[in-house]
Amino acid sequence: MGSRSRLAGFVGAAALALLAAAAHAQNAPPAGTVVDGSLKGKTLTFVSYGGIYQDGQVAALKEFVDKSGVKLLNDGPTEIAKLQAQVESGNVTWDVVDTDDFPPFVHCGKLFQKLDLTKLDISHIPPGQVGECSVPAMNYGMVLMYKNDTYKDNPPKDWKDFFDTAKFPGTRAIDGSGSPLGGLIEQAILADGGKVDAMTPADIDKGIAKIKAIGPDTIFWKTGAESQQLAESGEADMIIMWTGRAMTAVKNGAAYTPVWKDWLVVMDQLTIPVGAKDTDASYALINAYLGKKSQEILTEQTSYSPINNEAQPKVDASVAAFLTNTPDHAKLGYQQNIKFWVANFAAASDKWTALMAGN
Amino acid sequence: MSQTSHTPTAGGDHSRPSGAVQGPQRRLRLAAYPSLLAMPALLLLIAAMGYPLLTVTLRSFSDPAWGLQNYVWFFSTPVNVTVLWRTFSIAAWVTIVCVIAAYPYAYLMTAVEPRLRLVLILCVLVPFWVSGVVRTLAWVILLQDSGIINSVIRLLGFDGVKLIRTQTGVVIGMAQVLLPFMILPLYSVMRGIDLRLVQAARSLGARPARAFLEIYLPLSLPGVFAGAIIVFILSLGFYITPALLGGPRSTMLSTLVQSQVLSLLNWGRGGAMGVVLLVATFVLLALAAPLMRQRHKQASRS
Repeated sequence: MGSRSRLAGFVGAAALALLAAAAHAQNAPPAGTVVDGSLKGKTLTFVSYGGIYQDGQVAALKEFVDKSGVKLLNDGPTEIAKLQAQVESGNVTWDVVDTDDFPPFVHCGKLFQKLDLTKLDISHIPPGQVGECSVPAMNYGMVLMYKNDTYKDNPPKDWKDFFDTAKFPGTRAIDGSGSPLGGLIEQAILADGGKVDAMTPADIDKGIAKIKAIGPDTIFWKTGAESQQLAESGEADMIIMWTGRAMTAVKNGAAYTPVWKDWLVVMDQLTIPVGAKDTDASYALINAYLGKKSQEILTEQTSYSPINNEAQPKVDASVAAFLTNTPDHAKLGYQQNIKFWVANFAAASDKWTALMAGN
Repeated sequence: MSQTSHTPTAGGDHSRPSGAVQGPQRRLRLAAYPSLLAMPALLLLIAAMGYPLLTVTLRSFSDPAWGLQNYVWFFSTPVNVTVLWRTFSIAAWVTIVCVIAAYPYAYLMTAVEPRLRLVLILCVLVPFWVSGVVRTLAWVILLQDSGIINSVIRLLGFDGVKLIRTQTGVVIGMAQVLLPFMILPLYSVMRGIDLRLVQAARSLGARPARAFLEIYLPLSLPGVFAGAIIVFILSLGFYITPALLGGPRSTMLSTLVQSQVLSLLNWGRGGAMGVVLLVATFVLLALAAPLMRQRHKQASRS
């Protein structure tokens, strides 16, 4: 009941947001514009996941900081529970928060502000990626990496082969770092002969059962670093990896090859928390972040794909091989049914947690 | 154990003197109420432990609505019960491994000359100063299928052993992290044992094994119990080590709490899990306490 009404609300609101976007697109300053000295004396706290990713984001925002005169503080890693505590206590110290895919949809309006799209230029964001409460922060993918030595002339070609342990024996490693992998569960349902265009909660069980059927030796890695370590030491025969980590592992000598067919599209999301102190300053930061030049810097520093379709980052061949926005790769991507996973988030998470705990 | 039986008195007393600490005879009063000395620690515990614990407990009954729904959920979800049981079983294994590894080591520390003792103490403490995450990652490199231990085993012509992502791997990694908590209490008790008692037993005709079992071992048991309790309780809350060294079948309760609170924002359910773990631990300790007190008495009598 509750989930269905939330789904309906989501669809309705998304449609409204699109209408609003069409009506007001020309009002927003073009992405990347920064007004000189506009934020002098103000302070913004930007929250993300640390590591080279956040370093790259800070580099992408350097021009914004220099020109606007704002003082940029960094915090992290993003914890939705922490944000909830801030919102509930009425003392929100975070101004712009980078989150993973689901939270802005699950907690839209409660923890994250509904975005006023008259203040953002979203015209260069890849289509279908702007949510009611979030814009994408970057694009990347989860890609199936197989070990060259194990499969030699007969490598796996798609997710069906990933789930086919009879034809393709060997250990599998799956991203067990957080939220349920909607895309992977959908691929499991498909490999099981099911359909994903009208999924019901019962289908989640089918998909999870299919993942479980891979066998007890399946590895669920907990951190990106761990997945990279698995590849570099050759511990698993097929590993689902984030493209950034896959790129680094191959650069470090891991003899693995990516399968691009139906790679799972993933984004990070940029959000403004409910109760943020200076909303206009937060919008200004996001609008600068979405600019062409900022996105080029982000990609050059992090090897994640830009979310501005005009960005032309200068990267070497090893990085380009794992970018998800190149024409060859972009057309092969598989977009999970975000609406379904958001509507069934609690049930999916419980089932995913049980899978992770060996039940 | 004697410490725990004193604590309630200290806690009960402090309200009286705290209102009376005024006037010229302050020093004298302080001497009259030694429990005042516990005040700083007590205040810290109330602020850093008592209040958060109270909040967690309250939320487990009130979030999202008042009632027992979070506890009903906990016990009606098979994965929770399995993992709770597994958490206690892993903690028990870690404790056993720690006792077996620490006992001879602590004994050696009492038996060697001072300079060598310093080296032995450093061997315990230096890894203790290194972050748990770093040590756990080192174990990943040692234990993994293509790791050092398995390479050596294969070099010797045997089949590799599955160590990482098994309960065995988790127990090994946790025991190493927790070993100092077992060695140090054991050492402090063993240091106080009068070795002439063992000599006396020998001179009265006891074989070395008997002298050890009947004289030395009972005298060292308080150290074993103190260490075992610390190790067992610390094991129950482990998070990083099982996450990195274990697989799905060695997930511990802290991981489930994490996913309830951090990804689902179910503070009530997360709190209920914590309370269940806490109560189960208390019950277990209450069951073990009489046994330990008994042994303790025996030890001091002999």
